[in-house]
Amino acid sequence: MIQINELTKVYKLTKKQMMEKKTKKNMVKAVDKLSLTARPGEIYGLLGPNGAGKTTALRCIASLLKPTQGNIKVKGYDTVEDSQSVRKTIGFLTNEIKLDPQFSPRYMFGFFGRLHGLDERVIEERREELFDYFGIKDFQDKKIEELSSGMKQKASLAVSLVHNPEVIIFDEPTSGLDIITARNVTDYLKHLRDEGRTVIISTHIMTEAEKLCDRIGIIINGVLVLEGTLTEILDRTNTKDLEDAFFELYKIHNKEEE
Amino acid sequence: MKGTKNIVKKELTRVFTDKKLVINLFVLPGVLIMVMYSIMGSLISKMETDIKTHIPTIYIQNAPEDLDYIIDAVDFEGNITYISSKDSTTHIKDGILKGDIDLLVIFDEGFIETIRSYKDVGDPIPEVRTYYNPSEDYSNAAKGNFTASVLHAYQQSLLAERLGNIEQLQVFYIDRDPEAGIIVDESKANGKFLSMLLPFLINIMLFQGAMGLGMDAITGEKERGTLASMLLSPIKRSEIVFGKLISLGILTSLSAVIYTVSVVVGIQRLADGAMGAMTNIQFTPVQIVQLFVMLIVLVYLYVSMVSIVAVYARTQKEAGTYVSPLYILVMLGCIMTMFSTGGVKELKYYAIPIYNGAIALQDLLVGELTMVKFGVTVGSLAIVAFLITTLITKAFNSERVMFNA
Repeated sequence: MIQINELTKVYKLTKKQMMEKKTKKNMVKAVDKLSLTARPGEIYGLLGPNGAGKTTALRCIASLLKPTQGNIKVKGYDTVEDSQSVRKTIGFLTNEIKLDPQFSPRYMFGFFGRLHGLDERVIEERREELFDYFGIKDFQDKKIEELSSGMKQKASLAVSLVHNPEVIIFDEPTSGLDIITARNVTDYLKHLRDEGRTVIISTHIMTEAEKLCDRIGIIINGVLVLEGTLTEILDRTNTKDLEDAFFELYKIHNKEEE
Repeated sequence: MKGTKNIVKKELTRVFTDKKLVINLFVLPGVLIMVMYSIMGSLISKMETDIKTHIPTIYIQNAPEDLDYIIDAVDFEGNITYISSKDSTTHIKDGILKGDIDLLVIFDEGFIETIRSYKDVGDPIPEVRTYYNPSEDYSNAAKGNFTASVLHAYQQSLLAERLGNIEQLQVFYIDRDPEAGIIVDESKANGKFLSMLLPFLINIMLFQGAMGLGMDAITGEKERGTLASMLLSPIKRSEIVFGKLISLGILTSLSAVIYTVSVVVGIQRLADGAMGAMTNIQFTPVQIVQLFVMLIVLVYLYVSMVSIVAVYARTQKEAGTYVSPLYILVMLGCIMTMFSTGGVKELKYYAIPIYNGAIALQDLLVGELTMVKFGVTVGSLAIVAFLITTLITKAFNSERVMFNA
């Protein structure tokens, strides 16, 4: 379970960043009083435009960033007080975090397995299962730098799941993948949900969110503007699909911000 | 510390499974250093032989009659042209300037008559003037050889003629057997040359090694986004820091050993045996332990210095800019030892990081490093390195440093 309570994350800007953003404010609020709960056995989708604060929120859940205000509990562990336990519990995937290009997927899988304290037998079993599922075996001994972006993404996915985590946090997990592999990934996420894991993903692909997520949270300018099942969101916004609902909400809340 | 062990293993695997990196990091610099010094040595030797075998072109004006006899007697070889006082010397001086002519020797007119008519103090003394070009090796050598062999011999012969017995001029000898008067500690004397050179080389090589490897292992990984994947694993940040520092330390030590050996071997070739004495250096077991501990602590300090810069830098380019002043600082500390007289230094100097590393190594090589000085040096270096490590761990915990957040 992931419980986010009143999460606010403020970034302090350097002078250079202020000039780049053409602002006189030296602070920027990436996430503003975000509260949500992702339960075991569900896939929670965080939906929002670029720069809405999705990645920041996920990084806070993964204990990579500390909340400026509020707190987050992952399986009961506080992300600030007990970050090591949090990192033991989660499998985190984002495009910005990469595997060492000089090593093979097999080596990196073993390396992170050992960092998670797994013994060689368990690592081997997990490798067999995940590499087979994601079709990595054909290129498992090639250097990561020699792989296509889709192959790299598959390898990163497998590595993030090496320790069989109870909580899965994926930032745009199907980004850069072909349609077959993307389906593979979403099927695997469903499989994890069915096993009772907590899954939270961020995406801006509406159809993916519609098909995959049990509940969706729409985040605009760092604020969670609406949360619920697909049906609840469509009812509340009086729209036919998620894309329409999203644009409806975006019009209202982006205007408020301006 | 399982995490540290895994990271060290991974970092070493990363380097040693990359053939290009191994060649560029360890093999090529070592070979190039040796080749460079060997070429320099052979060129210098060739140059010296060339100067020695060169037959100088010399013009002598107003040469006394018996000078020819002296030149033959001392076996001086040269293309000698004799000119009279009526001949102009302008074109000869131009030739010396251009390097076509090596030497012009002008004897005063009536040179030999003036010498022979000398009776008492105040009587005129004639002069021999030599014109040469100090920037031309041939000219320089011609002047030196002609003065030392021909003119000196000629002067002695004329003195003998004037006094009858030249030994009258010798009232006492100074050190007829110079070797017998030398009282020296062989080991200290042998270490003297090395003590001037090696502390500088070791420190510079250690820092250079740490610099090349540290920036890629930390800033490079930060830039590539691969460090963040490690930060996500359930190990303490300090384990990651120690994993990085230990692996960097091992690789730095290895490259420093290779570089230092290459430089020493290269210089030995360059000096063409002049440093042969250094092979006679013998260390006591205590000195060996001292040297080992000193090198370990120095590696720790330099790796941590480079790492702190690498952690804070956003790009490798930025890291390169930040690390340069530190490199200059290390060079400065070491250069100061190269030009010191080597007298006993006060204990406080052994507490100044970097400088103390160089002076303690210098003392160690001449067998003068006391346990107190060794302790102060190692303690001070270790404390600074530990403080920097604490800062690195803090930086690894900082989201601003790690994620530019």
